Amino acid sequence: MEIQRVNAIVTHGLTKTYTSHIGRSGMRALDGLDLTVAENEVFGFLGRNGAGKTTTIKILCSLLHPTGGRAEIMGRDIRLREARRAIGFLPENPYFYEYLTPRETLHFYGRLSGLDTSACGREWDKLSKLLDLTEIGDQRIRGFSKGMRQRVGCAVALVGDPPVLILDEPMSGLDPLGRRMVREVILRMRDEGKTVFFSSHLLSDVEQICDRVGVLVQGKLTVSGRLNELLTRRIDRIEIIATGLTEGAAAAEFAEAFERHSEDGDHFSVTEIGAANRLVERILAKGGRLFLFNPMRESLEEYFMRQQEESR
Amino acid sequence: MRILAVAKNTFREAVRDKVLYVLLFLAAAAIFGSKALGWISIGQDIKIVKDISLAAISVFGVLIAIFVGASLIYKEIDKRTLYIILARPIHRYEFVIGKYLGLAAVLAVVTVAMTIVAIAYILVLGGDVDAVFLEAVLLIYWQLLLITALATLLSSLASPILGAIIVFSVFVFGNATGILVDLPEQLRGTSTEWIFRLVYYVIPNLANFDIKAEAANGVPVTGAYVVWALAYGFIYTAMLLVVAAAAFQDKDV
Repeated sequence: MEIQRVNAIVTHGLTKTYTSHIGRSGMRALDGLDLTVAENEVFGFLGRNGAGKTTTIKILCSLLHPTGGRAEIMGRDIRLREARRAIGFLPENPYFYEYLTPRETLHFYGRLSGLDTSACGREWDKLSKLLDLTEIGDQRIRGFSKGMRQRVGCAVALVGDPPVLILDEPMSGLDPLGRRMVREVILRMRDEGKTVFFSSHLLSDVEQICDRVGVLVQGKLTVSGRLNELLTRRIDRIEIIATGLTEGAAAAEFAEAFERHSEDGDHFSVTEIGAANRLVERILAKGGRLFLFNPMRESLEEYFMRQQEESR
Repeated sequence: MRILAVAKNTFREAVRDKVLYVLLFLAAAAIFGSKALGWISIGQDIKIVKDISLAAISVFGVLIAIFVGASLIYKEIDKRTLYIILARPIHRYEFVIGKYLGLAAVLAVVTVAMTIVAIAYILVLGGDVDAVFLEAVLLIYWQLLLITALATLLSSLASPILGAIIVFSVFVFGNATGILVDLPEQLRGTSTEWIFRLVYYVIPNLANFDIKAEAANGVPVTGAYVVWALAYGFIYTAMLLVVAAAAFQDKDV
């Protein structure tokens, strides 16, 4: 019998209009967002500043109330407290009580999640090891660096073992070590069966760890899908390197595709897969050998920029 | 349990804040300084010390209630510390009540501390402390609870400065509601009279909690009066907290 899997996050026509106090004009930050994030998936939520990423996340965490549409976390309406039981939330630049220590902070949020004191202690033991907080556990957060705060933030998001993690720009402002730490936490959580939904504009990080991405432009989801599906939609060009061709023949015979000669061999570039195959056949017929056949996929950066341009 | 966690944290925030100790020091200084006024009015030392001690407990309590209370929720929104809290499985009213109870606990500790200092000083000066003095302290605390509830309500709606001004105004007029209906002849029948009358009925009559004169003079107050004042304060406070929770329920943060 097939087990019915619940989607971790679903939104239907989620809309948010901010109304100003003066006059009736409003700013539509989210415009009918339909989004589905499957269980145990790492979903990258992309968009420029002001695209509506934080608004979406705040609605999912019940900090904002949508003006239209609805959303569910693990099958439960977000207006219900039970939906929030399933969430671990890391806001952008997490703010903590400066007068608390990381240990006290974790206990506090653990208590708010319904854990008793001994369970909070166990969570601290586990998470302080995972996030390397043991040494700074009893220092007040006031004076902590951005990286240290983010580690505390990750620990807070994980306390109570929620199945869905919602992280708002978790790598923003971190140094390479900090970004690696967040990346490792995300992948580890996926391995533990959790769902991770995170927003970012650091495309390289998204590319490395996401199963799927969604691109938000002016409050609308312009595209979402598996990363490799999205990226193979457009192969910019195909790079071919061949060896064994007589000197000068490559440039003369295949002038339309020839680029340069290097230690590796002769470099060719074509934009279409059929042309690439015909080129390879001709190279082999001339006694050349294929050294590299590399379809150059559009990078996520380029893809993202194209989405932005096309939506204008 | 979640309410207690929020309350405990609010309490912890206050006791780790140096401002609280400065205020406590000033209150103690006022209590000890009261003897100076006692010298001026010969033979009235103890009475003056009792009167000023109770006034100090009230005023410094109100200062804490206003300045901490008026930013109680505003600060959480402004500093974004409540993002992670409200994303937890907590009802918003639990957060509001927890914040309120945390500050109420701080005020309880401050009131008890100031009372202990005052009583010790009175005893050292050779005076005695009777039940009406303790009843006066209890009613001062009850008034602080009401003021704090109003400050909590305003802290989710207005900026701390506006909130503090409103709460302070209510404190001043609430202690002298009589002037709102005891108007000069020329105001009778004007719209000003109606506005004052409306204010008279809306703001709490804080003079109900003021038995400082009785306490200073050792004049007993009936138990029934104390119970009535406690009930009056409880109803007002509960209403303000219900409104505070409702105002915060659908607020976008």
